[in-house]
Amino acid sequence: MLWLKNAHVIDPAQGISGIMDVAVQGGRVLKLGQGIAAADPLGGGEADVTDCAGKYLFPGLVDAHVHMREPGQEEKEDIASGSRAAVRGGVTSLICMANTSPVIDNQALVAFVQERGRQAALARIYPMAAVTKGMRGEELTEMAELAASGAKGFSDDGRGIQNGEIMRLALEYAKLTGCPVVSHCEDEFLAGRGVMRRGPASAARGLTGVPAAAESVMAARDVLLAGETGGRLHLAHVSAKGTLAALRAGKAAGWDITAEVNPHHLILTDEDVPLTNSDFKVNPPLPSAEDRDALLAALADGTIDMLASDHAPHTWEEKACPFAEAPFGMAALETALAALWTYLVRPGKLTAERLVDAYARRPAERFALEAGTLKPGAPADMVLFDPDWEETVTVEGMASKSANTPFLGRKLRGYPVKTWVGGRLVFERKA
Amino acid sequence: MILREVIHLENTVLMSGGDIDQAVRRIAREIVARGGVDDVVFVGVRTRGAPLARRIQAAVAAEVGAELPLGLLDINLYRDDFSRVGAQAEVRETRIPFAVEGKRVVLVDDVLYTGRTVRAALDAIIDLGRPRSITLAVLIDRGHRELPIQADFTGKVTPTAEGDDVSVCLRETDGRDEVLLNKKGGGA
Amino acid sequence: MSWRRKDLLDIETLTVDEMRLILDTAVSMKEVLTRPVKKLPTLRGKAVTMLFYEPSTRTRVSFETAAKILGADTASLAVAQSSVSKGESLLDTAKTLVAMNADLVVVRHASSGAPHFLAQNLPVGVINAGDGQHAHPTQALLDIYSLREKWGDVAGRKVLIVGDILHSRVARSNAVGLTKLGAEVVLVGPPTLLPPEMAYLGVRSSYDFDREIAGAHAVMALRLQLERQRSGLFPSLREYNRLYGLTRERLAKAAAGCLVLHPGPVNRGVEIMSDVADCPQSVIETQVTNGVAVRMALIYLLMGGGAVEDVVA
Repeated sequence: MLWLKNAHVIDPAQGISGIMDVAVQGGRVLKLGQGIAAADPLGGGEADVTDCAGKYLFPGLVDAHVHMREPGQEEKEDIASGSRAAVRGGVTSLICMANTSPVIDNQALVAFVQERGRQAALARIYPMAAVTKGMRGEELTEMAELAASGAKGFSDDGRGIQNGEIMRLALEYAKLTGCPVVSHCEDEFLAGRGVMRRGPASAARGLTGVPAAAESVMAARDVLLAGETGGRLHLAHVSAKGTLAALRAGKAAGWDITAEVNPHHLILTDEDVPLTNSDFKVNPPLPSAEDRDALLAALADGTIDMLASDHAPHTWEEKACPFAEAPFGMAALETALAALWTYLVRPGKLTAERLVDAYARRPAERFALEAGTLKPGAPADMVLFDPDWEETVTVEGMASKSANTPFLGRKLRGYPVKTWVGGRLVFERKA
Repeated sequence: MILREVIHLENTVLMSGGDIDQAVRRIAREIVARGGVDDVVFVGVRTRGAPLARRIQAAVAAEVGAELPLGLLDINLYRDDFSRVGAQAEVRETRIPFAVEGKRVVLVDDVLYTGRTVRAALDAIIDLGRPRSITLAVLIDRGHRELPIQADFTGKVTPTAEGDDVSVCLRETDGRDEVLLNKKGGGA
Repeated sequence: MSWRRKDLLDIETLTVDEMRLILDTAVSMKEVLTRPVKKLPTLRGKAVTMLFYEPSTRTRVSFETAAKILGADTASLAVAQSSVSKGESLLDTAKTLVAMNADLVVVRHASSGAPHFLAQNLPVGVINAGDGQHAHPTQALLDIYSLREKWGDVAGRKVLIVGDILHSRVARSNAVGLTKLGAEVVLVGPPTLLPPEMAYLGVRSSYDFDREIAGAHAVMALRLQLERQRSGLFPSLREYNRLYGLTRERLAKAAAGCLVLHPGPVNRGVEIMSDVADCPQSVIETQVTNGVAVRMALIYLLMGGGAVEDVVA
């Protein structure tokens, strides 16, 4: 019996945003309402009462895009360390991308990821399976069996599927599963050997640029294929204005399309990229200011459905090299929520309600996870969020094995202070 | 700025403009007297050795009716305290428009003190060729040598304390002719 | 003015006064190059190490010559001969050099920002001898030196930089440096090699060499990397030469006495015709000599910066 009092509860699935008490029992939300009286029949037993005045209570965040690196690259991250990082960041359910080594393209590996998640026993860990065997972009995986084993979607994330016919077939075949096909949109000819967004900022740094169109042309292709096949498409890490045009057109036509955006693409731009700090190197690359603003507007108006971290840890050694040679990716699980709050919610560019909607409810719905809401009966996956908690992002403070975040050294304001999964306290932030 | 004014008040004048003119003329006469002016060339050590060398050159010309060659030498690339000086002295151009080979070089500097500048100048000249001889003319010799170096032609010899500051002002570089001594500790 | 830098990484971060000090010091250094014995004792006992991840005999020898004339010892690490090819990281290699008592490291690297990265991580000075497509500050300084030597001052002069601007660190550093000193720089090249983003330099861009050469006081022809054709950036050497090659006819349209520069090595008959490369207005050979003088000046200034702890900003 857990009794949280006076929290500002935000639960978009129920249309709730206000001061409430929440009672939890048996790992599930029992009841929520204003001023639940002590005399209320709560099921008996001793109540563990927490006064949450001045803090928010969110449903645990649902992150549809995480690279846990296990199996095969455990020096960067493993499911245990990544789970610790997740709950520190308020993420209680997440989907692991399939570009591990070996690639998650068979039932045994789908089972392995879930088993490792259960062993870690912190966040709820779900696997994404590859679209094509070995992510080679040639033959489809056994999608029906993979979905039956627990895969929540299909993605060759890390590489775009260059062959349009394979993508078309994937959208068709995945209908057997009800799972979305998640597209990493990147035309490899256009992207070339680029390492940041093409524009004046890349020219000034003498770094090879990736034109925004490298993403948008493939996004447009996949949107059209979703329309033609009636398949279920999800666009990963949207980063360009041109992609939004395709997305809006597809949605307007009523096609089954969703999209996600990463916090860093909403906060940082290509002008922020330092020549000597490869923690700012990410794929897709940081957008122009114009594209960044367009992405933020699209998130606010629902064109972009959800937020996802694209947590992509790399070791210090891999990143300690010239920009062009470093791998793409940012560690993001632990900083995503704090950065969104600091740079978007606090200045009024994004409402707290939309943040929770996009980072909990919508991904849970799209990937059919039992999560993302505090409705009575739902698993008690919850985040107690202190909007005034200040903390500087440090290497030592990371639960992740990697600290390749562009927010390193920055003081962020607004952090999760307690995280529960199934009613069990799995993280508590200490000063 | 204020500090500099105070120090200035406590300076003692070692040589006036008239003293400097006289010294230059005497040095010129001594140079001529010592074996004539055949193959004699002047090399002034930048900064203030340069105008002094020009003055001695003119004084010699007044004596013998012929202008002898003059070159300017920057010794910063030959300093022995390179790694200790911190921010580098600005290197200016060495301009010696003649071959030193076989010449009788008169090296000219303003102050002879530790002898290290002269040592550097000797190395610099020898890098340019093999002169027949090198002699040294200085306006003022203040003692405290750290190397076995002596002047051949001296305007004035003044004993000073180590740490005293001897500053030579010349019209060409400082707007006036004067040699000042600032005693260590402000002339107390 | 005093010099307080440990590294020379690009032209952007140099002040105009610092540029002038380097160029003035180089004048003194050039005198040394005219001597029968070109050897100074200045940097005796100091070691300058060349860390070249891209083959460039010219630049490396220029730096080595400069260091040796100043009396320093030099060591060279070329990529093929070292553990670099065994996968040792840039940082580990550089730390090894410092452990061997290098006092100054000269770096050439195919990755933009590699020298900046080293400068952040090493206690000794770093000179950028060309990084990726980003910067080649010593080339720009020697080009500007060569122009100043002829003109006294570059202010108010029109300088064309012609060719593969997109991939050129020489073009970037020169455009920045010349602009700082008051010259009018115009970038000229085909649209594929002179894309809109080069506007970040704040100088005029043009596709029309014939129009721009009118009134030009100097033309800097850039080396065309022949592999760019295979990448589809231009259709043929023939057409490139017809549109952007520096020919006698084109040079005749420039201002009288228009100087011809090229960072070398020259593709004769591609970006520049042989007779133009060898004409009296060409300073291509002088650039090579001036390169040594400018690099001597830089090595001298950077090595004299005193202990690194003393360096402010």
